Amino acid sequence: MKAKKVSLYSLTGFSKNNLQLLRLLIQQELTLRYKRSVIGIGWTLLNPMLTSFVLWIVFSFLFAGKLQTGQQFAPYLMAGILLNTFFNQGLLQAANSIAANGGILTKVAVPPKIFAFAAALAAFINFLIGLIPLTLVVYISGQSLSIFLPIVLLVGFFLALFVAGVGLALSVIFIRFDDAKNIINVLLLILLYLTPVFYPISILNEQMQQIVTLNPLTSFLDVFRWSFSNNATVTGADFAYLSLTGIIFFALGSYIFKKYWPRTVSML
Amino acid sequence: MSLVIDAKNIDFAYRVLTNHQSSLKTLFKDSLHRKVRIENYQALKNVSFEVTKGETVAIIGKNGAGKSTLLKLLAQVVPPTKGGLEINGTVAPMIELGAGFNPELTGRENIIFYSALLGRNVKKVKQRVEVIADWAGVSDHLDYQLRTFSSGMIARLAFATATDEVPDLLLIDEVLSVGDGEFAQKSKTRMQEIIKSGTTVVLVSHDLLTVAALADRVIWLKKGEVVMVGKPSEVITAYQTSEI
Repeated sequence: MKAKKVSLYSLTGFSKNNLQLLRLLIQQELTLRYKRSVIGIGWTLLNPMLTSFVLWIVFSFLFAGKLQTGQQFAPYLMAGILLNTFFNQGLLQAANSIAANGGILTKVAVPPKIFAFAAALAAFINFLIGLIPLTLVVYISGQSLSIFLPIVLLVGFFLALFVAGVGLALSVIFIRFDDAKNIINVLLLILLYLTPVFYPISILNEQMQQIVTLNPLTSFLDVFRWSFSNNATVTGADFAYLSLTGIIFFALGSYIFKKYWPRTVSML
Repeated sequence: MSLVIDAKNIDFAYRVLTNHQSSLKTLFKDSLHRKVRIENYQALKNVSFEVTKGETVAIIGKNGAGKSTLLKLLAQVVPPTKGGLEINGTVAPMIELGAGFNPELTGRENIIFYSALLGRNVKKVKQRVEVIADWAGVSDHLDYQLRTFSSGMIARLAFATATDEVPDLLLIDEVLSVGDGEFAQKSKTRMQEIIKSGTTVVLVSHDLLTVAALADRVIWLKKGEVVMVGKPSEVITAYQTSEI
């Protein structure tokens, strides 16, 4: 009997060559979407700015005065949109990725999870690129970057775990049930309204505030806004809540995927 | 002798939905009526065999006998429902070549991506890209997007990429040559070279002449069960007799 070696492979199920594949997949995810447009990846910069601008025109009349003193609505709104896009697009792409690559997965032995991870990490990188225009908006509205900026990376890391975990669990459901996608879209819309993306939490009544605080995305968003330009108030509980959410959902999603994948793969 | 494949009492069942829709709505409806909607279709029953290093084994049988399913199990794409399957070494499946080719990527990017999917080292492949494209005869198109390639060029590129590295175990589903005329001959020669080079090969084919020429041993499958294992001449004769 050979002793089992502890290696990258035994820990993650990925070999060194699989990590190279992961890199290629992320590259594709980032570049292919804009391959046929003139400004290419520039859309990643422009998209959140345009969306934010439209929403800013609509909502600044309603909410701009409702923030705490020192906080600015434009960067508040754009930070919300960036994080929400990271979550939404990452989740849907991770959940779709495995069905979309079914043709490959039924012919070549590739660890299927790699496609979901690539989607979550690509969303993370898109989010990081989006921080460049956000920085502009921060300075235009008279704020400056916070010294806690590196914490943004941590927020992104845990959100990527959260996205990958939920995405993996959803991916087996998406293959099994055709109409699951529509239901998830509605749930994501509800979740968007339960996250203070474009409104300050203070405009809600006490009961609603409690519900919104229970939403883990609220903690992600508050810590992000606080660490980027000191545009929110946070407590230690927010940090604990977001990191636990990331870890627990990642473990849970991986478990569900591992359990149901062997039965699902023959349906591809 | 070291075993490359050790299959013990393998069962494999596909899950088939009794009605064709699969939605949460029907699941909810049917759970109220307590209907069972999923049936198992038994594609392989109690299949056992061993393949030693360097052997070429052919699987024969009618359509629907479970040949391609068995190859998928050997490719480790799906796990067996029951039983034990052990495979030692690197595996290259030649099943529907070019699965993973992306029309939006260039020829070069596709060679690298397809190789990465096959579990190869990307750094090594990058040095081989020109050689692969040259062998496939698509050198001057290497940096164009794949959607500008003709279907023949895509098939040649896929074949050249898939056969660029010789694996420990090669799985072949009818792909013994691709393209037309000169390239068909060229690819056939390469395939035979690989098979004779001492690699372990499992091949599925309807062409009994090829099987007789290439295989050391033949496994005959019928309705998911092994009918006979043995020398090509004996098994093929028995198979042909039973067909009539």
